[in-house]
Parts: sequence; C-alpha cells; structure tokens
Amino acid sequence: MDLLHFARGIGLKVALSIFFLGVTWRIVSFALLRIRREYSKPRESVSKYLIGGLIAVGSRSWPHREFIARTGAGEALGYSYHLGLFAVVLLFTPHILFLGSLLGVSWPGLPSSAITIVSVITLTLFLAVLFRRVTNRVMRLLSNFDDYFSWFITMLVMVTGLAATAHIGGPYETLLAVHILSVDILLIWFPFGKLMHAFYIFPSRAINGALLSRKGATS
Amino acid sequence: MSRLSEIAVRVEGPTRVGGLGGGVQAVLSELVGMLEALASHGQCATIDLRSLPMSPHDRIELQSALGDGEVQANLTADGVSTLRETALCGVWWVEHRDHEGKLIAELIEVSTIPAILAASLIDVAASARTLRERLSVGRNGSERTDHATRN
Amino acid sequence: MPPATDDLAVGEMLRRHGVSRRGFIKYCTSVASAMALPPWMGPAMAQQLHGALRPSVIYLSFQECTGCFESFTRSFAPTMENLIFNVISLDYDDTLMAAAGDAAESALAKAMHDNFGKYVLIIDGSVPTGAGGGYCTAGGKSAVDTLREAAKGSAAIICVGTCSSFGGIPFADPNPTDAWPVSAIVSGKPIINVSGCPPIPEVITGTMLQFVTTGKVPDLDEHLRPKAFFGTTIHDRCYRRPFYDQGKFAKTFDDEGARNGWCLYELGCKGPTTYNACATTKWNGGTSFPIESGHGCIGCSEPGFWDKGSLYAPLSAPDWGKAGESSPRQVMEIAAAGIGAGAVLGVVSAGSGRLRQYRSEHPLDTEPEDI
Repeated sequence: MDLLHFARGIGLKVALSIFFLGVTWRIVSFALLRIRREYSKPRESVSKYLIGGLIAVGSRSWPHREFIARTGAGEALGYSYHLGLFAVVLLFTPHILFLGSLLGVSWPGLPSSAITIVSVITLTLFLAVLFRRVTNRVMRLLSNFDDYFSWFITMLVMVTGLAATAHIGGPYETLLAVHILSVDILLIWFPFGKLMHAFYIFPSRAINGALLSRKGATS
Repeated sequence: MSRLSEIAVRVEGPTRVGGLGGGVQAVLSELVGMLEALASHGQCATIDLRSLPMSPHDRIELQSALGDGEVQANLTADGVSTLRETALCGVWWVEHRDHEGKLIAELIEVSTIPAILAASLIDVAASARTLRERLSVGRNGSERTDHATRN
Repeated sequence: MPPATDDLAVGEMLRRHGVSRRGFIKYCTSVASAMALPPWMGPAMAQQLHGALRPSVIYLSFQECTGCFESFTRSFAPTMENLIFNVISLDYDDTLMAAAGDAAESALAKAMHDNFGKYVLIIDGSVPTGAGGGYCTAGGKSAVDTLREAAKGSAAIICVGTCSSFGGIPFADPNPTDAWPVSAIVSGKPIINVSGCPPIPEVITGTMLQFVTTGKVPDLDEHLRPKAFFGTTIHDRCYRRPFYDQGKFAKTFDDEGARNGWCLYELGCKGPTTYNACATTKWNGGTSFPIESGHGCIGCSEPGFWDKGSLYAPLSAPDWGKAGESSPRQVMEIAAAGIGAGAVLGVVSAGSGRLRQYRSEHPLDTEPEDI
C-alpha cells in the first residue's frame, strides 16, 4: 500500500475516529461537571442572565477600549490568521471536494490563485505569531509543549499544502500524501491540546457571561 | 485587489535592444563551437531542438537569428522532410514530418551536407545492379555477354 | 511469417516493403528524439540495424484481454510501427502466427533453443498462480511454468501493459486467480515495464526498438518504466493545466465548464499522480488523449489503479476502498462510533471529576451526600 493510499484511506479513518471520540469525551466530561452552587441572590431574572451570557460571547470577541493599545496587535494577528485559515480550508476547491465527499454537500469556492495569496499571507502571520511568542518574555514563560506543537502541526499542514499545490519538493503524490498525513496528525492531536478552544470558546464565554450577569456585573 | 489571472501578460518582442532570449543565446554559442570543429577537423554535430526547453517565441527568434541560405532540399520518404541551409554556411535546419505532415523530429545539423541526403554506397551498388538488369532485359532477349560483370 | 525471410537483413526486409534507407534513418531519428536520446543515436541505430539480421523476439500472452497487443499492432495507417515486424523476427506470437497446436509449440521450442540467451521476451497479461497455475494454460502447460522456462534463455523481458507490469485487472481485489506481475515471478533478468491499459503504440515500439538496437536497458524509474516515456505526469504536460491553476473546473460531464475545456479534477482525473506520455505523444498518431476527449485520466499506467477508489472521485477525496460506497455514510458510522465511545468515556471522566469536586468541597465528610 503506498503512502497516499494509506493517508487518504485507513489513516484518515483512524484520525477521524480518534477526533470524534476525543472531542466528545472532553466536551461531555466538562459539560457534566457540576457548576458550584451560588448561594448569593441572583441580581437578574434567569432569562436576563442567560441573555447576558449570549451577549458576553459577542462582547468578549472585541477588546475593551482601554486595552486596545496593549493587546490590539496580538488580537489583529490572531483574527487575521484565523480568517485566512478558514478561507483556505473552506474556499479552496480541492478542500471543498474533500469536505463535500465527507459531508455530502458542496459550495462554491475561490479561484486557486486567490487562495494561494491568502495562504502565503496566513503563513507569514503564523511565523509572526511564533516570533512574538518566543521574543516576548511573558509569553515565553507561559508557553508549553501544547502551544508549540499545536502551532507546529497547523504550520505543517499549511506548508505541505502549499508545496503540493505548487508542486515543489518532490513528486506530487508524495507531497499530497504528506499533506493529508499531517491533516491526520492534526485531527488526532486536536482533542488533546489547545486546539479544543474551537469547541470551548463560545460555551466558556457564555457560561462566564451568564454567571457574571447573575451577579449583576456587565461583561 | 485584482487577481493574478487578471494581470495581462506581455511578451517582450524582438525589439529588445541588441539582446536575444537566453535559450537562443545558448544555442548560438553551441553552434559557434560546432562550426569551428567542422571547419578545423570536419567534425559533424547535431542539436535536437525537441530536447531544448524553447518557447514558440524563442523558436521564431532562433529562426530569424539563423536566417535563410541558398539551399533547400525536400526528402520524400514516408512523409516529406525539409532540410534548409541557414544563412550560416554549414548550419542546416532539418524538419522531419511523417506521411500525415506531423512533425516527428526537428534538428539543427552542423555539417557540409546533412548525412541523410548523401546516397549510401550500398544503395548505389544495388542501383547499379538494378539498372544493369533493366538494360539487359531491354535488349530484346539478345544474349548477355557481360557475365563477368554481373554478381 | 514466411521462413524464407529469416536470413534477410533488416535493410533488405525494409526495402521489400518500400521503405528506403533514408526513410528508416528518418524513423530512427524520430524515435531517438522521442526517447530523449542524443541526436547521433538515430542514424547510429539505423546503421546498426540495417545490416543486421533481425533479432529474435518471442511474444507470450498470458492472463490478458489482448488490448495491449491490439495497441501494439493497431498502429495508425501504414506507418513505420507496422514495419517493426521486419526489424525484429517475431518467432512466436499466438495471436498472429498461422501455425497452431503442436506446430506452434514446436516453433516456440525451436525459437527458444536456436536463440538461447539472445532473444527478447515480450509478455502481456498477468500470471495466475492459483490452483497450481491452472487458471491459464496453453498446450497443457501453465502460464507460470511457461514464463519461468522462457525467461531462462531471454536477454531481457519487456512487459507490455499494466497486467504484466503490475498485475492489472486480474491482480485487483479480490484477485481470485492469485495473479502476479512478471517481476514477482522472474528474477535475475533485466525487466522493462511498459505499463498502461493499454500502453501507447509508439511507447511500446519505441522501447522495443531502443533495446533491440542498443542492447541496453534504457533509464528506468522505480517501477522499471522507461523514464523517456514515464518520466513526467499527465498533469505536468496537460494542455488544460492553466484552468487547473486558475481554479476553473468542470462540475459534471458536458456542462458549461466541460464544453469550455476546463480542468477535469472534480470529475476524478488522476493526471497529477499518473506517469505516462499521453499528454505529449497522445493516441492514434497524435489525434487525442482521454482528457482532450473530455474524460479524466484513470491512472491506468500506475500500479494498483483498479483498487484506488472510484475513477470519478477527485484525488482530494478520501480513498476508503470500494468504489460506489457512500463516503458520507461511512463518516456517519465513524462519527457515531466515535461519539458513542467518547460519550461513555466522558461520563466516566465526569463522574470522577464530580467525585473530586465533592471531595474538595467536603473534605471532612466520610459519606458523600450526593454525587
């Protein structure tokens, strides 16, 4: 069996199985945890503080005015490369075909040349992000294996994808196989590292917002 | 932001001052060496144009750089091939085509005359035999006297 | 094949077919150019062959559909490819020869004996080894035995077609006859794989001519295919490449994009991973090739191409085995299994998490109130 056949075949099956298993495990295991009983009186009605939770999802997506000067650059970087990643993953025709064949749906994509430009920009931003993490003293102190490996595996997917599209670095089927393998590794790693923020971020903001709102604080 | 595909591609024509395309320069440099070898010790050489990564524009540039000479020969053997001497004496542009006119090989040959044009001595001997037979048959059944010359 | 011509040199044979020396030089020059050999080799090949007696070639067909042989002989109009029969002495071929039965078998034995160590063995079709080799027999002998015997006295073996090169259709899942490619059965002899289902006629004859005149095996890739013809992918030379680069793909057969000649990637074209000369040499004397005729490449010159998923699923789709099985359904099954198992593990983790939560809130209790 050659590498491409493995990566697209059994490798993908195993990776997807672990992905679904891991993500469900983590979500269920925290969703079923008890929220510590609040003994204070709620300042708002239940419906109001649930809405407060939903509002928090939106309001915490943008920095407060006082902090923009200090955190603005980091926020901008983060948003930009996330948008770039989503654009490349969801609007590149071979990806649409891949996801489409998994999900049974299809949607229009962007011209390949536009996607190439977006992915090069995203790659550059990714390098900038690593540079910041490594040079900033506080970030360096806080960073662990999870941070670096999650960065590395996402970067590997992007780099191998660009190499495969540009046909640089070897025979095409090898480049494609390596790209798909790196996606498989990403899927396997996903539930066990910080990439789970994709599933945590909105519930976590909503819960925090709801709790604060119950206490009468705005978020 | 305009897409890459919307940016018009402009091919720079031969009006470039003095300069030729890189591919053409390389071929011409090779031809200099080959011509000198032919002149000094009669060594022939060939360049297969199919093996060179030349754009259609480069090919036109090369043709105009070599120019046209005094001799053009057509070879009809399983299709028509044209062998054209360029303005450079000893440099021949050879196009082989099959019976459907499809180009099957394109070469630049550096020689006094392309080897394929010269008659092979074996074929010459065969022609002599054939002609001799034809002549003796044509002599109204009279006895042949040149037994010794027949093989 | 009239035996009287056995003693004639190639040149004489050609002249009898109206091909002049110059015509033959022209042909050899074009073959040398197509195989990316140095230009002086064309006339050298012609000269070497012209005065030589025709080398003996034995063509054995095993578990095949005869498509490769048809490709070999079905050259377009009376071109030089047909005249290859006069350049080689085709001493045995069960499709073409007039003899049959014992006469044919003794012709084979004689050819192998008279030219021992010098004949070129051409094989098409895979070799079944199941049922003691009984799935393919001729004259009471199994294909595998015939192959082993014929290989002993051969100078080299040229495998024509994907079946003899890689196993092809018979080798595909479930391989009921236990078929194998020639290279899995024969060792110790130079093997050249001219793969394709079928291979292009000029690729077959060009490779044969090059070997027969030079006596040397050409540059081969890791699958033993001549790099001159199998060195680049269809995608590298495809005329529809600009559309691929621009992201213009046909969505279904005969839609607007397809009529405009757009890339066939979405319709399953395997061009990017297939090595062959179809995009340059083309078929039927350079008329066209599958992509130019509107159908994606099926990758027929690659090993195991029958088992690489649907011919119409794009290369970026998952390759989960049998063509026609719905991928979304398989994904749902995987998801259901994964989510089910994950939920169970999650409940267990949550349980232990809650226990920890309780213990941290009630450090002195010996009996838990509620969990």
